[in-house]
Amino acid sequence: MKVRSIIIALVIVLAPFIIGISLFLVKGSEAIHAKAHFMTDTRENNKGITHKGIKADWAFCPDYEYKPLFFHAEKYLVFMFHYRNDNEYSVQLMPSYTFASPGNRRYSANEEIAMYIEDELEEKLKANDETPITFKVAPNATKHYIVTFEKPKDLKQFYIDVDVFRDVTLRIRYKKENSTWENYKNELIKKYKGRG
Amino acid sequence: MFRRIIKNFGPEWGAAVMGTAAICITMQLSSEVARPFSPLLYVGLGFYLLTTVMLVAFLIPWTLRFFMYPEEIKKDLQHPIRGNFFPTMPICFILAGTGTNKLGPMLFGPWFAYHLSIVFFFLGVIGIFTFGFLLVRTQFLSEGVKHEHANFSWFIPPVSHLIIPVLGACSMDVYWAETSLAPVLFVISMIALGVGILNFLFVGAAVWHRYIYHGMPEGGLAPTAMVGIAPTAIIVIFLIKFIQAIEASHGSLFGINFMSVFPLVKIVASALWGFSFWWLILVIILFHNYLKMKSHPLVFGWWAYTFPFEAFVVATGLLAKCVATHFLHGMLITLNTLVIIIWITVVFGTFKWLERGAFLKPQH
Repeated sequence: MKVRSIIIALVIVLAPFIIGISLFLVKGSEAIHAKAHFMTDTRENNKGITHKGIKADWAFCPDYEYKPLFFHAEKYLVFMFHYRNDNEYSVQLMPSYTFASPGNRRYSANEEIAMYIEDELEEKLKANDETPITFKVAPNATKHYIVTFEKPKDLKQFYIDVDVFRDVTLRIRYKKENSTWENYKNELIKKYKGRG
Repeated sequence: MFRRIIKNFGPEWGAAVMGTAAICITMQLSSEVARPFSPLLYVGLGFYLLTTVMLVAFLIPWTLRFFMYPEEIKKDLQHPIRGNFFPTMPICFILAGTGTNKLGPMLFGPWFAYHLSIVFFFLGVIGIFTFGFLLVRTQFLSEGVKHEHANFSWFIPPVSHLIIPVLGACSMDVYWAETSLAPVLFVISMIALGVGILNFLFVGAAVWHRYIYHGMPEGGLAPTAMVGIAPTAIIVIFLIKFIQAIEASHGSLFGINFMSVFPLVKIVASALWGFSFWWLILVIILFHNYLKMKSHPLVFGWWAYTFPFEAFVVATGLLAKCVATHFLHGMLITLNTLVIIIWITVVFGTFKWLERGAFLKPQH
């Protein structure tokens, strides 16, 4: 092969790796970063909910900032759910999450943003996020799941539906009071089991 | 020189973009396996940017050729092998859309990325259905197509239709789940899925017939055997993305309930993945046979080794989200390494092929 061809081929082959490693090294800089400003965890004041031997807790960051490379930073609502199995047998979990707020907003978690901020959050909370759709929790073990929602502007109140139990939905409610977010109510709501 | 490049810029160049585009997804999935692999997410972003540059660079001569050399286009369309490569460029739109959907938010934020991927979706759909009809029409009306022309590149049109629902489901999984666009995405995706699956079965039978009764094609077509791995692998990708789309719609999408279809999806996806894995071994056996016959020349068609194999790797990574997670994660990392080795080999091979001047002497 001619030297010119080898050089061009090398540039093409190495470009994605050089770009990728450079971006990985500069993440956290002003160009591309993720920042958690404030975080609460229900495990600290034993505020989580237990149902059928599964204890659900959650860490919450209302202003998780993520800055894409070419766009301005945006804030996200980020949760890390902790599921502890207090049963004497293993359980298989398959949770899904929905955000709802006044103004008829209702949407699902954003998996992509969760994937990008995963490392920082795992580091901060010293826990590993589960990636499969469904995962097994052994007796007395705890598994963690990161959930990210796009944050609407001027948000004052919202709830998150956590579908992790077969018969009930865990609804966690937050409202903003004096610029801090308060988890004012958590409830288990019976699921609709009609036809269709 | 510029006019000669345009004149000879065959429909097969889309395969190079396809073979590069899918790596951004294999990298993204590999990055999720464990913390030490996290940098692969950014390497995937690097591949996404390279794909964008290649797509723009190839799209210009590919499009100009339609206007400057329509007689060459007509000749290629009627060619029993080259003609099947026309849908590769629209497939690139779908792959670019999928890459934008997964990695675009890192560059532009979610809102812009999800809208851009929808633009790619519709561009891809228009191109794939247009070339799909053109190619079937040409094959049906042509009197020159013989049994011995059949080869696995004939799978490209069915594969092009099968890939539409992948981006359709990816889009429903995120931003578009609860919007009025969701039914449109769903209907287009289901039509394409039906066309893709049935065409895969019909064409597969024709090619199988050729391999049995007319012997194997000459070595230049050897890489096309890898295309056979793609249809079932892509169906696996669709099934897992679709189940995630249902999950994103609060467990029920168009009345399809997550809990009732998830076990079935796991069984069907595992079985189809198994077929692709079987086909991979078959390709290795055929490859060995061609090498033994010293009939595996350096051709542009080596790109056929990239995208179909990458689709299988993506299927492996997504299936790991549902079954045998640890085993499939191990396999994903191994296969992803192999993807890179194959891709690098093919890039260097392409430059060697270009040096021989084969680009300026297309064979009709």
